[in-house]
Order: sequence, then structure tokens, then C-alpha cells
Amino acid sequence: MPPIKLAIIGGGPSSFYVASRLLSLLPRDGAQSSALKVHVYDRLWAPHGLVRYGVAPDHPEVKNCTHKFDQAAQDPRFRFFGNVQVDTQSSSIVPNAMALPLSSLLPHYTHLLFSTGGSVPILHPALPPSDHVVRALSLVHWYTRHPSCPPAPPLDKISHITLIGQGNVSLDVARMLLTSPSVLEKYDVPESVLDVLRRSAVKHVSIVGRRGPLQAAFTVKELREMMNLGDASMVPLDPALLKPPSDAPLTRQQTRTLQLLQKGSANKPGTTAKTWSLDFFRSPTGLVPPAQLMLTHTMLDSAARAVPTGATSRLDTDLVATSLGYRSDPAQTFYDPALGHLRTASGRIIDAAGRVYRNVYASGWAAMGARGVLASTMMDAYAVADTILADHFPGRVETMAVSPAAPHEFVETQTHMLPEDADLESVPREVAEGIEEGRVVEYGQWKAVDAEEVRRGEVRGKERERMDWNEARAFLEARTSKHA
Amino acid sequence: MPIPRPCRAELLRRHFSGSAVTRHGDVTRPEPGTGIKLNFKDAKGQLIKTIEANEGDDILSLAHEHDIDLEGACEGSVACSTCHVIISPEHYDLLPEPEDDENDMLDMAFGLTDTSRLGCQVRLTRDLDGITATLPAATRNMFVDGKKPTHH
Ligand SMILES: Cc1cc2nc3c(=O)[nH]c(=O)nc-3n(C[C@H](O)[C@H](O)[C@H](O)COP(=O)(O)OP(=O)(O)OC[C@H]3O[C@@H](n4cnc5c(N)ncnc54)[C@H](O)[C@@H]3O)c2cc1C
Ligand code: FES
Repeated sequence: MPPIKLAIIGGGPSSFYVASRLLSLLPRDGAQSSALKVHVYDRLWAPHGLVRYGVAPDHPEVKNCTHKFDQAAQDPRFRFFGNVQVDTQSSSIVPNAMALPLSSLLPHYTHLLFSTGGSVPILHPALPPSDHVVRALSLVHWYTRHPSCPPAPPLDKISHITLIGQGNVSLDVARMLLTSPSVLEKYDVPESVLDVLRRSAVKHVSIVGRRGPLQAAFTVKELREMMNLGDASMVPLDPALLKPPSDAPLTRQQTRTLQLLQKGSANKPGTTAKTWSLDFFRSPTGLVPPAQLMLTHTMLDSAARAVPTGATSRLDTDLVATSLGYRSDPAQTFYDPALGHLRTASGRIIDAAGRVYRNVYASGWAAMGARGVLASTMMDAYAVADTILADHFPGRVETMAVSPAAPHEFVETQTHMLPEDADLESVPREVAEGIEEGRVVEYGQWKAVDAEEVRRGEVRGKERERMDWNEARAFLEARTSKHA
Repeated sequence: MPIPRPCRAELLRRHFSGSAVTRHGDVTRPEPGTGIKLNFKDAKGQLIKTIEANEGDDILSLAHEHDIDLEGACEGSVACSTCHVIISPEHYDLLPEPEDDENDMLDMAFGLTDTSRLGCQVRLTRDLDGITATLPAATRNMFVDGKKPTHH
């Protein structure tokens, strides 16, 4: 059997779940098995994608999945290369990352997997970015110290923030803004972020959505956390909004959402200095300078789409943050603008005619679009790992679920060609040089930084104190010279 | 009364973060013939194996102890729903009601049924002897050349 030498572009949870599944399903000592190598490339210096640079600091349990990723990374067949951005245009390069064209990567691998996520926030057409309109993702990047390094929001100067979009990311941001820093300081929140939060003058967070409570994208878990905030209360909702419709049966989640909204927040309205509100059936149409939000009132049509009622209103605010979902990086080779992500079928990358690119796959948000929690990302990743194996061992794979049908037709091209066999150890020259120069980070180095972050956190009585790349690089250099 | 969660999560964290990681040793096995019987079934209803457990063991830890392909991404902290299992109806009714946080996570579970629970939250008691935990439809279990996967 020829080997599987897989390059995974992206080192988020999807990537690690595929890697973990492949490494565990193909035992190292299996006489029948083929040789396996998994090389993960991430444009960021640190691995784990949104688990490190997305998941809210007050959700430390969610990050427990990294223990499984660490186990996969301990397998000698696995390597990680951080700070390498593959297949992209210079305009979207993250700071410090080295750009690696696909053509430099391909000769070294027999298989290719895109697990690049969906990292480009969708903007609101009526709310272009400005001093008063930011992307919610930049606030997330600010409080997670993402390498893109967005500026801190001027929280000491503003009292009213409006979030556009009613998904979990909006609620994460709202929670971060409304939770007392004395609660947050024990978590993985950088000191620089805590300093800004301690000076915050924010009194109210409005969370605006163009549809109603039954259509809201947030999950009950996140809504309950909002209800239980220690220092804030929810502005009561119009009871008419909370009446279950008589015509359509509700899902379990909808029923529980309505019950929770009816109960309201644990702190009674009027008892707290800080408040938040869910502003349903409102759609922004623009911003009157400096920051008065114009809203069209909406209702649902028969297909549950938001349509204008004709009424409008204005909302005085200080900062608007849009949180309307994400698409994949349009600069990527297999990006489909109509889908907003890569074009796949059963995890295989296909062309517009449905023909399969041999041994090229995609998983996670890059393949499914930017939706779903880690549990769904994991299930998808396992299915893609199974497809890779089923393609490699036709007829020799037992699976207890339905296997994906074999591809009918392949794309035969001269470009994007992966060799059938490859030197198991080789990596692109640029990457080898980057390792030499200390610009490319391997997993062992990440683990050293990880341990140091936890140690620095312990000193301050918190979960960890994050480093940025400059600090991490200095730490790694000091460590190398000590060991030398 | 479930044992306090931080404590359990901490136990698991220590258990998983050691360098020579094994999934064993989390629960002690009872003397054969004396334990509470628990059947694991796959999505098609086929028996994977029947195991014996002690009072107080939870289904997720037991699955790991016995190499059953059940995930526990948040390691028992009620934050992921990957440990979702379907319980035999007659035993489901004997279980204490799920708490709000477990229900919140079940909302997001794949292939939710009326007798779904989070494996990390179900602790065995004597009266549950003979209970069946079925892995939900989306869980796949696959081998190359009939080889048993090693756990990562
Ligand atoms: C703000 C936020 C909070 C969330 N919180 C939770 C939560 O609490 N619980 C939960 O269950 N789910 C949560 N989710 C969802 C969860 O994060 C996703 O399901 C999951 O991260 C998707 O995994 P992925 O690997 O497909 O993408 P990602 O996690 O985005 O990983 C993609 C990786 O690819 C890298 N990459 C992209 N392009 C390139 C390139 N050209 N070259 C090299 N590398 C590249 C990126 O740097 C990134 O590391 C959250 C999502 C967001 C946005
Ligand atoms: S292991 Fe995460 S909810 Fe049970």
C-alpha cells in the first residue's frame, strides 16, 4: 500500500479531530496498514484555532478538548507547523506568518485536507466598519490576544453597546462586557484586557436581531448564562413576543428558550446598575453620526423571513459590533463564492461539475460553513477521516454506519496534482528554513509556551497568562540558548 | 446527588493530562459477577459489550475504561454533549431528572431521543442493573482490516 502523507491546512479542532481519528484507526504496528504521516500547518503560531482564539474565557471546560489534541500530537507520525499561511493572498496574511504557496506544499504530500475554518466576518451592508462600528470578532480577538492584534475598545468612554446578531458569539461578547472583572480575573483573560474591563463605563448592552425568540441562533445554555449574570439584569420583554404560536409545534429548544425568556433574569429588572436587552424584530438601516442606530421594525412572512412592518425607530448607542456569521477566506483555491466556503461532497473537494479532486479533502467550518458547536465539528471531522480511509482502502474498511459512496468521476488536471508517493519525512524548504530560524513553531515548542503561560497565570492566581508571538519567541529563544 | 462537578472535572483533568496517558484506572472494576451490568450497543442496536460496574460509576468513564468509542470532549463538565447516549426506557425512568445544564447540552446533541442522557452525568445504582446505553446514530465505529483502533 502506498503511504498516506497528509498535509492539513489549518490547526483548529476540525484538523485535530481528523488527525486524531486517522492516527488511532491506523495503528502504527499494523502489518496491513500503510505508513501514515500527518503534518498540520496553521497561519497562527499557536494551535487549536477557535478553541484558543474564540471560545470565551469563562468557558474553560470547553477547552478540555485540547487534551485529546495533545495526545494526537504526541504520536511520532504527527507534526505541527505554526506561523505558516498556505494558499492565500498577501492581503489576508496574518502578522508574522510566512506565506507558503500551494505549489510549494503539494510535491511533499500524497493527501491534502483543508481545515481552514471560516474566518472572514460577514459585514452588515448598512453598517460599514468605522470608529463606531466594529466586528464582534475583533472584540473576541482583543480578549483572546489573537495575533491580528485589534485595538482595545474604548470601554472607559462608552456606556451603551449594541450587538447586531443574536448568536452565541454575541452573547459571549455581552457576557464579557457585563461580567465583573473580579469574576473574570481568575480565567484565561489577559491582564491588558482586564485593565480595560476594570475601567469600563458600559451600562447597557443591546442585542439586536431581525427575527424573534424562536428564530434566534443562540443556544439555551448561553441564554441561561446571560440570565444568571451576577451584576446585570435583562430588560423585560413584551409578553406578546413570548406567546407560543398556535399553528406550529415548537422544538424542544424553542420551548425551553421561551420558558427561560418568560422567567427573565435572576436579578430582577431595576435592581442592577448594568442591564442588557434582546431587541427582537429590528433590522439596522444605518448609523446617524456619531452613533445613533436607525432600525426598521420587522415581522415574519409565511416563510419565516424578516420583512419590514413599515415602522422605524432610532437607538442611541456608543459602539455597534456586528456578529452576523463568517465565510471562508475567498482567496483560497477551492472557495465557492455562492456557498461562502469550499465546495465539497462527503468531505471530498469537488469542482463545479461535481468531479472529485483526487485525495483532496475539506473538513470543519471550511467545508460545512461557519455553524455548529465543537460536537458537530467533531462528528464531521470523524466522517471525513473515514472517507479518507475508505478511499485509500477501497473495500477493506468496515464501518458500522453508511460509508460514503465512491466518487464517480475525478478531475484530471496538471495543476493541483499530488504525487502518489512521497518522502515521508520531507517538508517544503521554506518550512525547514523557518524552523531553523525560529519563525515556524512546532508542537513541542507550543507545549513549552503553553506550560509557561499556565505557570505565569498561577503566579497571578489565574488559569493562564497568554503570550503574544513576540513574548513566545523571546521565551523560546531563551529556552534554546539555555539548553544549548 | 451527583458529585460536585469541579471536583470531577479536576479528577479527569489530572487523569488525562499525565504524560503516559491511559484511559484506564479511572474506575476500578468490580469482582466478576458482583457488579451492576451495563450493555453498550451501537447505533444499529447491536451489542458491543456488556460490562460490570460499581455503584456511582458514570457511563462516560465506564465507556473509556472498556474501550467503547464514546467521546467526552469536555471531560465530564457538561459543556460539550459529545457523550450523548440513549438509555433503555425502563431504566431511563429510574434516573433522577436531568438538571437544567444537562438539558441545555442535550438540546445540541445529535439524534436526540426521549430517553437521551449525557453519559458523563449518568451514575449507576443497583436498581439500574441491566441498563443499556446505545451510542447515537451519528457515532461511527470503524476499523481498517478489522483492526481495533488504539485510543488517542
Ligand atoms: C467566537 C466563537 C466562540 C465559540 N465558542 C464555542 C463554544 O464555547 N463551544 C463550542 O462548542 N463551540 C464554540 N464555537 C464553535 C467552534 O469554535 C467551531 O465549531 C470550531 O472551532 C470549528 O473548527 P474548525 O477547525 O473548522 O475551524 P477553526 O477553529 O476556525 O480553525 C481553523 C484554523 O485554520 C487556520 N487557517 C485558516 N486559514 C489558513 C491558511 N490559509 N493557512 C494556514 N492556516 C489557516 C486558522 O488560523 C485556524 O487556526 C465558537 C465559535 C466562535 C467563532
Ligand atoms: S463529556 Fe462533555 S457533556 Fe459529557
